[in-house]
Amino acid sequence: MPGSTPASATVELARAERPRWLAAVGDFVRRRPLGAIGAAIILVMVVLAATAGWIAPYDPLETDYAAMIAAPNAAHWLGTDAFGRDVLSRIIYGSRTALLVGLGAATLGATFGSLIGVASAYFGGRVDLIVQRIMDVFFAFPVIILALAVVAVLGTGAGNVILAIATPMVPRCARVVRSSALAVREMPYVDAARASGFRHGRIILRHMLPNVMAPILIMATAFLGEAILLEASLSFLGLGVQEPTAAWGLMLRGAAVEFAETAPWMAIFPGLAISLAVFGFNLFGDSLRDALDPRLRTQ
Amino acid sequence: MGIYILKRLLAMIPTLLGVAVLIFVLLRVVPGDVVEARFLTQGSQFQSQELMDIERKKLGLDQPLWKQFTTWMGGVLRLDFGLSMWTGSPITQEIKLRFALSLQLALMASLIAQLLAIPLGILAALKQDTWVDYVIRVFSIAGLATPSFWLGILMILTMLIVFKWVPPMVFTPLWVDPWQNLQQLIWPALAVGYRYSAVGTRMMRSAMLEVLREDYIRTARAKGLWLKLILARHALKNAILPVLTVMSLEFAFLLGGLVVTEQVFNLNGLGMLFVEAIAHRDYTLTQALVMLVATFFLFVNFFVDIAYAWIDPRIRYR
Repeated sequence: MPGSTPASATVELARAERPRWLAAVGDFVRRRPLGAIGAAIILVMVVLAATAGWIAPYDPLETDYAAMIAAPNAAHWLGTDAFGRDVLSRIIYGSRTALLVGLGAATLGATFGSLIGVASAYFGGRVDLIVQRIMDVFFAFPVIILALAVVAVLGTGAGNVILAIATPMVPRCARVVRSSALAVREMPYVDAARASGFRHGRIILRHMLPNVMAPILIMATAFLGEAILLEASLSFLGLGVQEPTAAWGLMLRGAAVEFAETAPWMAIFPGLAISLAVFGFNLFGDSLRDALDPRLRTQ
Repeated sequence: MGIYILKRLLAMIPTLLGVAVLIFVLLRVVPGDVVEARFLTQGSQFQSQELMDIERKKLGLDQPLWKQFTTWMGGVLRLDFGLSMWTGSPITQEIKLRFALSLQLALMASLIAQLLAIPLGILAALKQDTWVDYVIRVFSIAGLATPSFWLGILMILTMLIVFKWVPPMVFTPLWVDPWQNLQQLIWPALAVGYRYSAVGTRMMRSAMLEVLREDYIRTARAKGLWLKLILARHALKNAILPVLTVMSLEFAFLLGGLVVTEQVFNLNGLGMLFVEAIAHRDYTLTQALVMLVATFFLFVNFFVDIAYAWIDPRIRYR
């Protein structure tokens, strides 16, 4: 964007007076409105998760058999489920589960994936070949099948679900990071580090990894949305987070489908929460990619 | 080209072997086995260790692991997958009908996805940074964000309320009653297709944007060619290739990856079969399913690469 018009010149001036991070945020909002919407959705979700204890009108686990499957009303804004639990409170608490599993799985998947990817590119040769063949094996499984297999081995529950979701993400992250790391490996500073006699671990962690951070970040945000979706799918199948924990996928299971006709609020609102959360992460991730990927920046 | 094809086919062998080892080991690590699972469902409290050992012997589970593996591999080489440990009937028979269902659903879903993705992607690229572009992008990102099982629940809900339609309990194969069959599968196909179209729409948009900046498009415009002709003859032909690649790879995963959608629409596809097989600790069936899905994926991959070389004269494989 050429910055020579008088209007943008004043913007430039105004920007100089504000703190740098605020200017960066303002810039992001102006240039990527869709990304800003995504960031806002994420922010709301984080706030909900952090303050769930104060803002949720009810205890998410508290059953009230006098008010089972109640339609949305003044006391229960989004109605109650088959155990008389408040749907709104469960959705608010559910954001904790979604964020926990999403962040956990994305961090784990991206960390191991990028370490494997960078190491594979750095060592090259036979190591690279073997690592790539092993990754090919994992690629031949549909994501959910691999996650289900891991759940079968480890059992259900939030911690195991994080591991199950991270597993299929490792090879995908490794592949993308490896291709970026291959270019970084040829850089003079890597040669210099090698000539200085640094250990492999140090070169990988200190010299190569920071320079492939952009694709890793992009992958991680993409994973976040996907992990939330996958957690919901697993929980919906009954193979993810277990009752009575408040989790969105779990809320769609059982009674929500059985009584969908008479009590649609049980099926509609948790699904809406999943979609909105993933939508937010995807919008934000997309804009992040546009902002970080130099190949896509030329518009 | 012939040598390349041969090389690619040979390269599948180690991958498939890896898949076989991985699923074989994973299943053995899963706590419990089919005999225990069967006794548990029968609710028998009197199962004796001896009785279970006899059952295990019958199924060959008393053999050392390497022997179980080689026996299984020997069967696979002869395309004999053996009997299901749970039901005792031949695995090919167990899989056959469900494979037909899953394949049909995958084909329909990916057809819908392409019918949505290609025109929408082109439109978004042509109207870049206008409200049309924004609406299409939001529509496609929303598709990516909406769980297809939830979309399925909403569809069923709408139809229940509007048409009093209930998803049928039994699946009708295409060759028995095509109309009934299509009625049954169109909704899950739409729910899945919308989601998968999102990936394609975004690819199509960015590929088209890239191609539209190429010199040959400028040349075509400069010589006064009709815009529609430029798009059809020059732009689309070049932009569509990566889109079709990505969508075919997605298609390969639709075969076994629709576990949750199948559950919502009450369809007995490969995905549900996989969940059941794992729950029953049915080693033979789970292994056969995984090998089937992986082989399918590798072959789709292979055909995409070959088609690439065939369509695009710039690519020549050695």
